[in-house]
Amino acid sequence: MMATRRSVLAATAGLPLLAAAPARAQRQPGVLRFGLSSFPPSIQPWVNTGTAAATVKLLIYRGLVSFAPDGSLRGELAETWHNETPTSWVFRLRENAVFQNGDRVTSEDIRWNLEQIAAERSTAFYRAQAQGIARIETPDARTIRIVTAEPMVTLPLWFASYHMMMVSPRSPTAAGALPIGAGPFVLRSQERGVSLDLVRFDRYYKPGLPRLRGIRMIAYADENLRVAALQAGDVDLIEYVPWQAMASIEADPRLRLDATDGPFMYLTFNASRPPLSDARVRRAIAHAIRREDIVKAAFFGRGAPLEGLPIPPGSPFHDPELAAGWRYDPARARALLAEAGVPNGFSTTILSTAQYGMHKDTAEVVQQHLAAVGIQAELRLPDWPTRVTLGNRGQFDIAVMGTTTENNDPDGMSNLLDGSLPASFVRSAGLRIPRIEELLAQGRSEFDEARRRAIYAELQRVALAEVPIVGLAWRSQGYAMVPEVRGFRAMPGALNFFSGITLEEASLG
Amino acid sequence: MLAWTVRRLLISLLLIWAVATVVFTLIHLVPGDPAELLLSAGGVAPDPAAVAELRERLGLDRPIAEQYASFLGGVVRGDLGRSIVDDHPVAEEILLRLPRTLELIGAGALLAVLIGIPVGTEAALRRGTLFDRATGATAALLLAVPIFVVGTLLVLVFAQWLRWMPAGGYVPLAADPWRHLTLLTMPALAVAKGLVAVVFRMTRTAVLDTLSRDFVRTARAKGLSPSRILVRHVLRNAIIPVLTVLALHMGSLLGGTVLVEFVFNWPGMSTPLLKAVEARDYPMVVGIVLTISILFVALNLVMDLGYAALDPRIRHA
Amino acid sequence: MRKVAVPAALVAAVILVALAAPVLDLPDPVQQDIARRLAGPSADSPLGRDEFGRDVLSRLIWGARASLTVAFASAGIACVVGALLGLVGGWFRGLGELLALRSMDVVLCFPPILLALLVVTLLGPGSSTLILVLAILFLPGFVRVTYAEVLSARSHDYVEAVRALGAGPLRILLVTVLPNVAGPILVQLSLAVAAAVVLESGLSFLGLGVVPPEPSWGLMIRGARSTMAQAPLLLLWPCVALTFTILAMNLLCDALRDWVDPRTASAVRLRAVDRVLPGLVPRRRNDALLEVEGLTVEIDTPSGAIRPVQDVSFSVRAGETVAIVGESGSGKSLTAAAVMGLLPPAARIQAGAAYLDGTDLLRLDESTLRRLRGSALAMVFQDPMSSLNPVHRTGDQVAEVILAHRRLPRAVVRREVIDLFRRVGIADPELRADAFPHEMSGGMRQRVMIAMAIANNPRLLIADEPTTALDVTVQAQILDLLAGLRRQTGMALVLITHNLGVVAEIADRVVVMYAGQVVEQGETKAVFARPMHPYTRALLAAVPEGDEKPVGIPGTVPPPHAMPPGCRFAPRCPHAEEPCRTAPPVLRALDGRVVRCIRAEALLEQSASA
Repeated sequence: MMATRRSVLAATAGLPLLAAAPARAQRQPGVLRFGLSSFPPSIQPWVNTGTAAATVKLLIYRGLVSFAPDGSLRGELAETWHNETPTSWVFRLRENAVFQNGDRVTSEDIRWNLEQIAAERSTAFYRAQAQGIARIETPDARTIRIVTAEPMVTLPLWFASYHMMMVSPRSPTAAGALPIGAGPFVLRSQERGVSLDLVRFDRYYKPGLPRLRGIRMIAYADENLRVAALQAGDVDLIEYVPWQAMASIEADPRLRLDATDGPFMYLTFNASRPPLSDARVRRAIAHAIRREDIVKAAFFGRGAPLEGLPIPPGSPFHDPELAAGWRYDPARARALLAEAGVPNGFSTTILSTAQYGMHKDTAEVVQQHLAAVGIQAELRLPDWPTRVTLGNRGQFDIAVMGTTTENNDPDGMSNLLDGSLPASFVRSAGLRIPRIEELLAQGRSEFDEARRRAIYAELQRVALAEVPIVGLAWRSQGYAMVPEVRGFRAMPGALNFFSGITLEEASLG
Repeated sequence: MLAWTVRRLLISLLLIWAVATVVFTLIHLVPGDPAELLLSAGGVAPDPAAVAELRERLGLDRPIAEQYASFLGGVVRGDLGRSIVDDHPVAEEILLRLPRTLELIGAGALLAVLIGIPVGTEAALRRGTLFDRATGATAALLLAVPIFVVGTLLVLVFAQWLRWMPAGGYVPLAADPWRHLTLLTMPALAVAKGLVAVVFRMTRTAVLDTLSRDFVRTARAKGLSPSRILVRHVLRNAIIPVLTVLALHMGSLLGGTVLVEFVFNWPGMSTPLLKAVEARDYPMVVGIVLTISILFVALNLVMDLGYAALDPRIRHA
Repeated sequence: MRKVAVPAALVAAVILVALAAPVLDLPDPVQQDIARRLAGPSADSPLGRDEFGRDVLSRLIWGARASLTVAFASAGIACVVGALLGLVGGWFRGLGELLALRSMDVVLCFPPILLALLVVTLLGPGSSTLILVLAILFLPGFVRVTYAEVLSARSHDYVEAVRALGAGPLRILLVTVLPNVAGPILVQLSLAVAAAVVLESGLSFLGLGVVPPEPSWGLMIRGARSTMAQAPLLLLWPCVALTFTILAMNLLCDALRDWVDPRTASAVRLRAVDRVLPGLVPRRRNDALLEVEGLTVEIDTPSGAIRPVQDVSFSVRAGETVAIVGESGSGKSLTAAAVMGLLPPAARIQAGAAYLDGTDLLRLDESTLRRLRGSALAMVFQDPMSSLNPVHRTGDQVAEVILAHRRLPRAVVRREVIDLFRRVGIADPELRADAFPHEMSGGMRQRVMIAMAIANNPRLLIADEPTTALDVTVQAQILDLLAGLRRQTGMALVLITHNLGVVAEIADRVVVMYAGQVVEQGETKAVFARPMHPYTRALLAAVPEGDEKPVGIPGTVPPPHAMPPGCRFAPRCPHAEEPCRTAPPVLRALDGRVVRCIRAEALLEQSASA
């Protein structure tokens, strides 16, 4: 048996043997290694393919405008913009903006992009908005005038979105070929499902940028492994830091955490049948849930209670009083239930998904608190696609949802609140609240800041009473990095997923 | 012999067709619309017109029977279609990913054989001793501790604390052989974790069984040395059931290394399968399952050939 | 049975704890207390609290209910359905076989995770779906095991017999086949239960298992993984519970297998063989080649030690043929095994000696004995099929014994092997040396065994019922061969048999054994002409001769643990009298023979007068 013992030893000895030699890849100077949360399914300038793709898009492409790190709008391909009339916007293009094939970015190029987005066969995210454009005029190569059918105060915000990237009309059209953008980095190569290699674009229009020579993006689907990769020195920067790891990263002198509250969790309702068709019942639910428990249990305390509509605290539309309108008050909840004629509660179901831990955990806490006021809810935890389908078809009672608004403007909440929009899993089913629809439309076409604030304050008051959704919790969205990474910033609130744009200013060392 | 081969091939084809049809039916039956999912990534509400447009473009608006017919037609022409998610050819994706999964399973099986067979033999020979009990308990522990726990612990110890190894990932062999093997080590160990326990238990049983055979008594009556009896007579016979079970488990690993691939970021074929189901990427799901069933049939064939090589009784049967 | 008891008790304990959950006065396993999330062990929650502040101990015990219910239900369903499919497929073959087995291949082609994903997505997650998924996953295993067992059971004599009696297939399946395949199915069942517990955790990790907040071990592990850094103990508890359960199931399954198939129950220790016996008996020399003296073999059984061989003595002179005869269970084969040093591990030599040329074989260390085995001392076994290794060529197996004792070049060995094959009467020896055992007839295989035995010119060849497994015509050829070889080589031959015809033909002397003892010994002719022991007589009477109808011996050999107090043959002896039943008779010399009967003289007179 000697031979066999030796083989056992050899087999186990292989491990440290392999480990003895330095196994880590050498860091190339000036190349940032970015740990993505998933490999981007596809990179398309106008179509929504998720947030990992968004980060990559923000490196390769640029739109007319963008969000600055503080959340304000700034020029990109367009230097300046203004609205001539409530329905007419003029953008003035930069002189030195070139596509990565060397062509200058012209107003005709922009018109082509908008036409493609609005085209009959388009699957673009802003397709409907682009179809709302009545006319595009290009008086000269650097000027473009956009005339909308309705007054649209939020139009520049769309143009800052990573779904509104401008590409060269002369891009290759072969299957799998990437359209040519005007961003700071060029995609040089990719290992499908593993990594993307980007190098700096030397003729980027911002002087001195990008500072990095290149970016290597490596996908780590497992959040624990993503953190491990950072701690082991395999990558310099990771996105989607899991909440349970935030404390240890903050405590680690070799690492830095940059996190902001941005996305949020909320409840939607199927209001097509009683008792959930009764606003008092929905309000009772809103008062029955102790939000701190969700923040603690689902997000390890990394987030904040959300007891009103999802308007971030820093926003000019934020009102501390209205933001706490659904504060935890089980006695009030019971009273509301009694008022609605269901004093002993009722039985219902909560739709969530087991695929994402935060959706499941949130549902578990909500279930517990509803039980405390007499509402017996059974959890339904299918996979995400089924959950989406059930949500779209209105086949649920109460549903847990998590998302982020398109931007920090309160109009970004339209998708969640506007019952006149087609049925969708992101909003309640069978629930039309005409006053809210009116107020949303007013807010969209009102150019005066003060009046807009009044409109949205009114909107919040109506929503608190009618309860189209129930806000639950803001969740922290974090990036973690080694201290050598400079210039990268986690952007505030709903813009967190735009943080990739700051990589143009990032440097190592 | 020819009739046997033809019959076998026909049954295999039938099997593959049955699997493809079952999976095609099931994946279309489950709720979820790929076009809608694709455009609502990140929990945003897509424009219904865009969804309808995409659905039409992908041919998802056609009757299911028509889709099935065109799928079968494609398969006959050797075309597995294109991914709904990124329009990449399914066959290309499989060709890219399959070798990585096979490599992982192969390395895991190698480790399992190198560890499981000697230890299992020793445990059988020392039946009832402390060694036997200890190894048996270890095998139970290996089976019981889930792969995602073991994997995370391995990463914690070797990558985060000791910093001996990268925390997972993949580099092509051609690009950097040393790093490739380093990255293979931990996932291979994790795959081996379950296989070792299986090989160990099977070896122990098979050796015990073989030890009680008459021909072992004959071998002793011939005055052979214990080591010769063990290797030439006991192990040579005991290895047959061990390899059978190992092959069966390797077969089920073909699409079953999801957790290992996930925990160690190994871009094999299980991850796209899972993702394809999550995205309802019909062509990808069906294509991967089809590949797996073809491999399964091939594995069965190899197994039969292997038996014949190991057991002369089968060779002539 | 005792070996099954301990693991069964462990498994029962796990099940009992799970069943007892409602009466254990545990905290509500789903009651959250977020303020105390991840709290360590304390008085009111001895194992601490989880990420929702729920009591871990309570969840562990309630979780056992979910996990074990899923495990047992899924394995049980798979077992019943799988066994049925396997029975149908194995028994009816044809279409049944095709459907039962090929449909399982379809299942096997599905990656388990995909199957789980699809089924769960279709039916919604939950325990019942989980049971269904796992049952489908386990089904092929049961079908295959049952199918294989049914195929082998079909060919067994008893099944053939029942079929010949005209029993319907259903009856045969249920009454005859099912009990025989029950063993392997049972083992498969316990394996499936263990696997189900693990799979439940894996699927729950992927969100495909038990629906929260209902506790299960898998969900606990899933929850604990994300808090691994903060509260590693949370991961430990469910893993410990899982390990313990699986270990208990594995032990139970091993014990069951041993119980069902006792052949593997005791291990052969290849190395620890130095069994030096106490009390050194002085060497003696006489003309005997083999001198067995007072050999007693003891075996420990659960009901106490038994002695299947007791105080056996006989001797074999060089060149002599000695036959040992007796019914099955008389201890003939164990005696031979003891001389060869090939006793099964449970058996040990309690007393006695076996001198080969004056060296006590029973006191030799294993390596010295090993040098004698296969060279000076050789043996031929009863069943040449099972005694030959099926995976090696016969010539190689013969060559092996030559090389084990003599260093020779390959080519020389090969020549010797061919020569040996020729000597044992195998036609085409060059060709046959490359054949595998299964390619040969029974008689041919036994010739190979004999070639193997005589390869190193043994001084003594023990043939243990060498012809029992062979056709009648072949039997005579083999015996002729043995007799011829003995004449050529001058080796001594010990022939163990129950065939007295054979004995009369070739044995010089005969040793009659009954119930572990020698009852009569002497020259063959004398013994056959005038048997002294009633048992010898009865044996002779049982030999069919001419037109006379053979007379069977009533009753059977008493089992070793229930020997009668007096003469062991007394209960079956037509001549037994009261003294025979009270005191055991001694072996005594009489008329040039030895006999163990107090009435030997009386019987001799009786037969002489008759």
